[in-house]
Amino acid sequence: MVPGLRPDDASVFVAENMAASKQPTEPNSSIPEYEFVNVNTKPFHIGSFRDEWLKRLQPRDVSFQPVDQDTFEASFAAEMGLGEETMAELRSVCSVDSLRCHSEDQQPDPKVVPTNSTLKTVTQRKKKQEIKTSEKSSKNRHELYANELDRLTVGRVPETEDDMIPEGEVILTINIYFPGNFEKFNYVRPHMTLLMTGSHTLAELRDAICCVSDLQVCGEFSSTPDMAPDFISKDIFKSAFFFFEGVFYNDMRYPECQDISSTTIKWTKSQNFPSFSQAKMEDTRFMDLKVKVGFPYLYCHQGDCEHLVIITDVRLVHKGDCLDRKLYPLLTHKNRVLTQKCAVCHVFISRWYTTRDQFAPSDPCLFCDKCFRMLHYDKEGNKLGEFLAYPYVDRGAFN
Amino acid sequence: MDFYRKHVKSDCESLLGRFQQTQSVRFEVFSNIWKEMKFVQIFSGKPTHKKRAFCRLVLDIAYCYFLPPFSFQIRVGGLYLLYSFYHCQTASTSEQLQIRVALKDWEDVKNFEKDAMDAQHLDVVYILKQLMICKAFQFTAMPTLLLYRTKRNEEKPMLCEQFIERASCPQELINTQLLEEMSNIYELYKNMKTNIISQITAPTNTSVNLIRKDIVSQLCSTVMEFYNWQQGRDIFDEHKNIYERTSSQQECSNRAMLLASIKSKAYGEASEASKSRRHRQVETNLTTQEDGSFLKERHSRVMKQSLRNRTDKQIHMLVWVRKP
Repeated sequence: MVPGLRPDDASVFVAENMAASKQPTEPNSSIPEYEFVNVNTKPFHIGSFRDEWLKRLQPRDVSFQPVDQDTFEASFAAEMGLGEETMAELRSVCSVDSLRCHSEDQQPDPKVVPTNSTLKTVTQRKKKQEIKTSEKSSKNRHELYANELDRLTVGRVPETEDDMIPEGEVILTINIYFPGNFEKFNYVRPHMTLLMTGSHTLAELRDAICCVSDLQVCGEFSSTPDMAPDFISKDIFKSAFFFFEGVFYNDMRYPECQDISSTTIKWTKSQNFPSFSQAKMEDTRFMDLKVKVGFPYLYCHQGDCEHLVIITDVRLVHKGDCLDRKLYPLLTHKNRVLTQKCAVCHVFISRWYTTRDQFAPSDPCLFCDKCFRMLHYDKEGNKLGEFLAYPYVDRGAFN
Repeated sequence: MDFYRKHVKSDCESLLGRFQQTQSVRFEVFSNIWKEMKFVQIFSGKPTHKKRAFCRLVLDIAYCYFLPPFSFQIRVGGLYLLYSFYHCQTASTSEQLQIRVALKDWEDVKNFEKDAMDAQHLDVVYILKQLMICKAFQFTAMPTLLLYRTKRNEEKPMLCEQFIERASCPQELINTQLLEEMSNIYELYKNMKTNIISQITAPTNTSVNLIRKDIVSQLCSTVMEFYNWQQGRDIFDEHKNIYERTSSQQECSNRAMLLASIKSKAYGEASEASKSRRHRQVETNLTTQEDGSFLKERHSRVMKQSLRNRTDKQIHMLVWVRKP
């Protein structure tokens, strides 16, 4: 053995130093990170996300009460050790008035695009405006009213304290897309955008989704037109599920509800899929979910009516949001669809669809309720002539 | 709304470029540049129904400059930009949009605040705290709304190189402490090796020389060289910029002209069809452009006019033709 030097010394020395300079531990999975940049995130638990934020913030940061300006300045001066003069100078230099580009009396009209501007945005806007005025283009009503619902509810405060959303609550923005069997906008354009809080259950989200397939009535009703509303699909086929991150959340609130996800699960077991599990929609709150933001998930009802569901945003509630709990789930955007009107009056939306109808100008033909009864039934309600009639639910029934 | 993105970005970069040149982090300097450029006009003339989307875009773009990898001065400029946009966006407070801060960026924000406090930049800290107390921030999961947009129409946005913080990783990694430890370990290793080798084999056996000699001093000198090169490049760049720009432009345009001429020859003259297909001669398109413009992207989508417009057009033409 070499005198004076133990072979363990060096290795211990090296090992110790390596341990000391080791990089920090693996990333915290409750902090949302991009899985693909600007596309979607990795899955994270919403409740833990909320806790992570609340750990990092002071209670006054999340509170709805604004902080008084004088109190803030006093505490700032004390913290930084500033005198009154410095404080006053700071206040005047950093005030919003110092950003004023035009003098008080010469304020230009904010609706007019300024002509000589060095900003590229403004010159582009001017160009676009000139093109628009030269061409006669029809008003895009979708764009005009896109923010309408949002504007109605933003900043609404409830009357009672109980209805107020608590500070530190999580708000999720969820896009529900048109169903797969819709001819246009398949999976591309959101049908509606809903705002939900973290304490809402998935069942409440289900109740807020309006899909016309829920109102469909199956069957021929020419002999019994008054009985049609009793057979709405929503009341007959009540089963539905959500699919998030490998878990099927079934609606089991009513005795008629069946577990419609079990067929899919059985099939996946026979193929090489990872195993999926099941849970109850009404027992799961959004706070308990582990989801990816920006990633498409599934909502299936009526057996085969499938909608894409994307959670586009998760954040803490802010004093500028609608704070009235009763208004949630809050609809902030709805895409309106062209409706088919009655063939007779062209005024009301059609509710009856007839075929092999001797009174109708075309086969098939659409009628509104009044025109339908006037044409096909006499005063006592007896059926006149030969025809087949089916209740029709227009796609724009929820406009 | 994405249409305005690159224009807003270039306007912000020109403002921040000017701010960078002043070598200052004072809000007064920033607000003077803002007033000079009349930056508030960026909001003028926007139709009411598009205002919200535009304000969202503008705030999101300004937010990027507030975070790493930009240098401290640019991040201060980003903060001032956010403050200015937040207060100038609209007249009514009920319609004000908030600045979205993602959870993953919060640590960077806090570090920035700490750096500003340590350096006693009072206006920076004041403005940041002022934004906090007037509830300008919304605490979110991600900086923007995510809609699973997998189709990338435009290229990846490039970060302005001049604004990025100078890389200091080599210096941070190879610090004095590390160099000391390394030299200690190296000494130990060398001693152990010489002791063992002198006992076993001849000293000239090179098979056991696995490490460079003087590795520590070499590392040190390499890092110093890198640092000096970085410093030198900043100064050198400014002088070389003008010269480089013109010469590279010339090169680019020469190359483009050459490519254009080759392509025009290839596509302008149609190849003669083989004898077996003489009945189907290739037709030349006499309208090909021969300058370099076809090297640019072409819009592959043709906008079809609505049936109404087409009918109107045809009716007008008919009327016009029929007029005696």
